[in-house]
Amino acid sequence: MEQAYWLTNVRLETGYKTDNGRVIGTITELHHLLIQDGKIEDIKKASEEIQDERKKIDTRELLALPSFQESHFHLDKSYIGGEWKAVNPVNNLIERLEDEAKILPIQLAKVKERAKLLIEKIADAGSTHIRTHVNIDPYVGLKHLEYVREALSEYDNRLTYEIVAFPQHGLLRSDAEKLMRKAMKEGATIVGGLDPGGVDGYIERSLAMMMDIAVEANADIDMHLHDGDYLGIYTMNKLFEMIEESGWINRASISHGFALGGIPEEEAEEVADRFIELGVGLKSTAPMRANTTIPPFLLLKRKGVSVALGCDSMFDSWGSFGTADILERVGRLGEYYRWTDERSLAESLGYITNNRTPLNASGTKVWPKIGDKANIVLVNATCSAETVARKSKIAYVLHKGKMFEVNEKISTETSVFR
Amino acid sequence: MAFYIKNVLLETGYIEEKNQIAATSASLFHIYVKDGIFQKIIPAGHPVDVNISSIDANRQLLLPSFGQMHVHLDKTYFSGKWKAVTAVKNRFVRIEEEKELLPKMQSTAHLRAEKMLQHFLANGTTRVRTHCNIEPVSQLENLAITRQVLTEFSGGIAGEIVAFPQHGLLRSNSEKLMREAMRSGATIVGGVDPGTFDGNIENSLYTTMDIAVEADADIDIHLHELGALGIFTIKYLAKLIEEAGWQNRVTISHAYCLGTASLKEVLEIAELLNGSGISLASSVPMRSTIPIPLLAEKGVKIDLGTDNLVDHWSPFGTGAVIEIARKLAERFNLTDEKSLGQTLRYITGGITPLDHNGHRVWPKVGDKADAILVNATCSAEAVALRAKSSMVFYKGNIVFQDQWKENLMQGGVK
Repeated sequence: MEQAYWLTNVRLETGYKTDNGRVIGTITELHHLLIQDGKIEDIKKASEEIQDERKKIDTRELLALPSFQESHFHLDKSYIGGEWKAVNPVNNLIERLEDEAKILPIQLAKVKERAKLLIEKIADAGSTHIRTHVNIDPYVGLKHLEYVREALSEYDNRLTYEIVAFPQHGLLRSDAEKLMRKAMKEGATIVGGLDPGGVDGYIERSLAMMMDIAVEANADIDMHLHDGDYLGIYTMNKLFEMIEESGWINRASISHGFALGGIPEEEAEEVADRFIELGVGLKSTAPMRANTTIPPFLLLKRKGVSVALGCDSMFDSWGSFGTADILERVGRLGEYYRWTDERSLAESLGYITNNRTPLNASGTKVWPKIGDKANIVLVNATCSAETVARKSKIAYVLHKGKMFEVNEKISTETSVFR
Repeated sequence: MAFYIKNVLLETGYIEEKNQIAATSASLFHIYVKDGIFQKIIPAGHPVDVNISSIDANRQLLLPSFGQMHVHLDKTYFSGKWKAVTAVKNRFVRIEEEKELLPKMQSTAHLRAEKMLQHFLANGTTRVRTHCNIEPVSQLENLAITRQVLTEFSGGIAGEIVAFPQHGLLRSNSEKLMREAMRSGATIVGGVDPGTFDGNIENSLYTTMDIAVEADADIDIHLHELGALGIFTIKYLAKLIEEAGWQNRVTISHAYCLGTASLKEVLEIAELLNGSGISLASSVPMRSTIPIPLLAEKGVKIDLGTDNLVDHWSPFGTGAVIEIARKLAERFNLTDEKSLGQTLRYITGGITPLDHNGHRVWPKVGDKADAILVNATCSAEAVALRAKSSMVFYKGNIVFQDQWKENLMQGGVK
């Protein structure tokens, strides 16, 4: 059992400041938090004196926020820690896959070491949970799964994780069924998938096989779906049918889901209704490419669809622009959608905290509560809105009550290659 | 000041594999800097004159310093306390809000502009074009502050001041003030949306041009007008340029209408811009980004800027212009070694170490010693990584070193 301690002078959001009913700022008050057994055991106002002799750690008015989650990342393919390498020019997705097929075996020896660097970056950027996809394909077999599992197991104290078995080269296209079934027996916890149309070329067959693997392994699903507009929507609807047939309610996610942003809003509303009905979640990486459509975040939020953000990747054969910085990702989403006022910014934090925000929609303080897990980031900011817009510095991350100081060397980008 | 920059990495060419550019080659050099000019560039194996002082670049890459070609130094919360943007119905309500805010912001304006310039310098910027509010509330006060601050920084940053009638040249009746501003230190005539702001495209643009001719000054006009209205306004402006003989003297900032125009229209406008020598300035917004790579390919001159940062119009922005270059690369999928490396030209006034054929064209003996050192192996890496400047040279002087850096961006609690 860990020794209990007080985090003193922690800034907590307690409400919105309003002017004629309009939110114009956030009210915060200083508190002391008692951390014990991985939980927030007690909360006192800073004006109250602490009577016991437990250890005290003075946060000097840093803002406490619920810790972040990295909901879509590929820990197994980065060049991090290695030399600079730009992306090889290719004409289409299939050529990109062929390019990767050549690169993967060469990188294999580095996978674990690089995954560790990435995990440290992600943890220092405030996440205490990672959902990672790992390649399951004929080129690396189950090696990526093995190495990423090993890497993650070394950071049990810093974060929890889920591993998605990801048939990157196509479940059917690369004949990965056997490998996928094996992966689910060897530590992968979620069944992945990839563009049943665009990559596999057989939408119904590909989806049915993915579903069958999930049922066999009694595992959730998280499928990459880049296929655009009506092809993507058709695929989603087909998946929804199968979810219903198999009773896989509340067990599936769609990653990316660009198609949702490529159809009229009225139609997106109908698809959103199905997400809700079947408990399907969306994992978005909110990419910035001009030719990629971003799902309509506010529509999905209004409907009640669970949407979470991920950074996707950092420096691999697919792209050089990833950062592993989830706070930056939500800020740039805000920039895209022009969430510029206090409340919009504050609420956007939910996309990276599993929907936990200190204040609820009516501005009432709902986090932290006594008994909540002590998964916290301590930020040099005065409120959630500032944290998102100015990408404020994270000083400490608490995971299950254990406090970690952020290593600035690791968290800055320039140390990526050297 | 005369010194050697020793062991500095310079790009020397592209490396091809299977008929594709796969990487950039680079070698170490010693560079002799004197009188603001690169005087000698010699391979690192060669000895240097030990009587001349030297700094060791320690294998860092030398790049041309950056230009920040669209920013508002005079209106910002930068370095100050957090303040979100208030939700308003439209830009005119925002202007009303601004009228109340401006007098309150004036007491901190000098300090914040200083902090912002320090921050730009730390991010490798040695040229800044700032748009300065000229309207009945601020009168010429913001201009005076902007001038003072730019003068303080003149050893490290070349500044240009655009007199910017933010509340509408006609709408706020600012013509007189604008003419006065041009006599009081502003160097470029600004403008904003002749249609939606001023409600009279002809009169607004004519007056802008008339002020420019009187002051013998260039023009840089904010054009947010959307769709066909924006295209019409560009065409009208081109006509006026021809009449006034103001070719190669006009910049259009933003030009959002090009972000939604058809390919045919974009090509037509590109030709028009080239004919009149109109350049563009963009902050690469994430919505309806104008097709910068296509326009550049057609010969249009385009510079980037961060635009306003952390103010009452937007709570975002980091002030690092290399971040805007990276954003451009990311948006337009410029991901291979050459495309990515060449993106640098949008923030260096067109200079890249290698030309399109991979020949080293910068630095050359005789070039101005305006440069930065970054921890990267090539331009492509520097852009992708938003490489931080560890040292900045301007006119051959060291004007920034990273150990001087303090965290200027933060609001926060301390």
